[in-house]
Amino acid sequence: MSSSSAGPTSPPPGPWEIALASARGKAHEVRDLDNQDAGRWCADARAIVLAIADGHGHERHFRSGRGADLAVGAACEVALPLGARIADEGDQPAVEALGRYELIPALLASWAAAVEADTASHPFGPAEDGLAGHYGDPPVMAYGSTLLVALVAGRWALLAQIGDGDIMTVDPTGTTRSPLPVDPVLDGVRTTSLCQPDAEAAFRLAVVDLLATPMTVLLLASDGYGNAQVDDIWQPAVGADLLALLRAHGAGWIRRNLPDWVARCASAEGAADDTTVALLLAAAPHGPTAEADTVVAAG
Amino acid sequence: MPGGGISRRPLHFIILADCSGSMRGDKIQALNFAIADMLPHLANWERDQELAQVMIRAIAFADAPQWHIEVPTPVSSLRWTPLRHVDRGRTNMGSAFELAATALAPGQLERRALRPALLLITDGLPTDPPGRFDAGLEALLALPAGGRALRLAVAIGRDAQSDALTRFIADVTVPVLVADNTEEIADRLVAASIAASRMSEVGVDRAALAQQLLQPAVGEGPELFDRDTIV
Repeated sequence: MSSSSAGPTSPPPGPWEIALASARGKAHEVRDLDNQDAGRWCADARAIVLAIADGHGHERHFRSGRGADLAVGAACEVALPLGARIADEGDQPAVEALGRYELIPALLASWAAAVEADTASHPFGPAEDGLAGHYGDPPVMAYGSTLLVALVAGRWALLAQIGDGDIMTVDPTGTTRSPLPVDPVLDGVRTTSLCQPDAEAAFRLAVVDLLATPMTVLLLASDGYGNAQVDDIWQPAVGADLLALLRAHGAGWIRRNLPDWVARCASAEGAADDTTVALLLAAAPHGPTAEADTVVAAG
Repeated sequence: MPGGGISRRPLHFIILADCSGSMRGDKIQALNFAIADMLPHLANWERDQELAQVMIRAIAFADAPQWHIEVPTPVSSLRWTPLRHVDRGRTNMGSAFELAATALAPGQLERRALRPALLLITDGLPTDPPGRFDAGLEALLALPAGGRALRLAVAIGRDAQSDALTRFIADVTVPVLVADNTEEIADRLVAASIAASRMSEVGVDRAALAQQLLQPAVGEGPELFDRDTIV
């Protein structure tokens, strides 16, 4: 990542609108399992946080749905208070450092504390004890989950991810970007996780300077979304369509339709996996928006 | 809906069938019958589970391997063309593994494809030139998709239950399936196909798979999707 020299004279990007939807996968329905994904957003006058998480399905992670829920809760709790500092920051390396050395450690600490509290308030039953014993796992392993977080404040989008899933930006021309570095460890079978001992090192981080690289749409998706797409390289078509739909119909229309899109991806038509998508949408995407909606300022 | 559309995730199922000279007569007939019998089971599973699209390919091998079905073909639309044995053909497995590896090389499978399945069926020991079995197996297992593939083997006759098949499977918890006679080939292939279809994706519990293979009536629960575990 390179430092941006864009000056602070431009107005901060935004305001933004948010759409979030999650659906239980058909495979989970067949197995009578809950949706083990989670999604949440929060905002204040200076910042917006989007977070999604995908609990691992393996039996050793028998509380992963809870782990995912705790993860998105931790993301909002930890990231939002950093928003004002990031919004006021003019230096990209400083934002990166804040993400790497403050946000990620705090996320992990908050999640670990929440897991510990959950284990204390809801002790493992005999079957859960048996599974943990079978694998020789500490309690935290039961809560294994991915986590994708976007903290958007002022001119910056700070993106952090552990595990599989996708974070994508779309600029006003419809060009899509995946700002986070590829993790070669993710092979579709195994994933990095909040519950692994070296989770801090496994986090990927990116900072987008929204003045240098304008962003009209930000998408966070669990792997159920990408795995449902026919195209191997699905991002360009999805990004272009999202931008066109945003301009034609507005954010409210996308918000109302997103649950149906997500449900189709989670169905037997698609990947059959739990699917969660969070979208940050420019409220004025360089074109008419057909409907007025709740607007979240983050500048 | 944004994008180019959605579809089920593909499950690539590659059959490696021994067509050496020793397969002539009843064995090759039984094998053809067995594969033709197995395919509807896979198609039924695909229809009932509604979770994946099974794509079939097949390699016939003897002195040299060749694609019997080269283009991944949806199991629901596949009509099996009988294999033929090769007169005095040898059982060269290494080159068959190499050919399978070309289909699993990086970029050959969809990114979203489920864990592929390979089913090796043979009635004999490998007769590869020195070093070729090992080289072929290494070429296959060195690939990310080859290494993580669910690899099953059916031995036609006890004599075919060799160390070579165990090395192909490369998992001590997964047994070689033995068909003691031609009548049992179909049963073994059905068992293998059911196991492969149910267990091909993520977080495969090999011990449970072995149990399922040894006791086909056990383990009815579908265990195909969303069984990620950590690195």
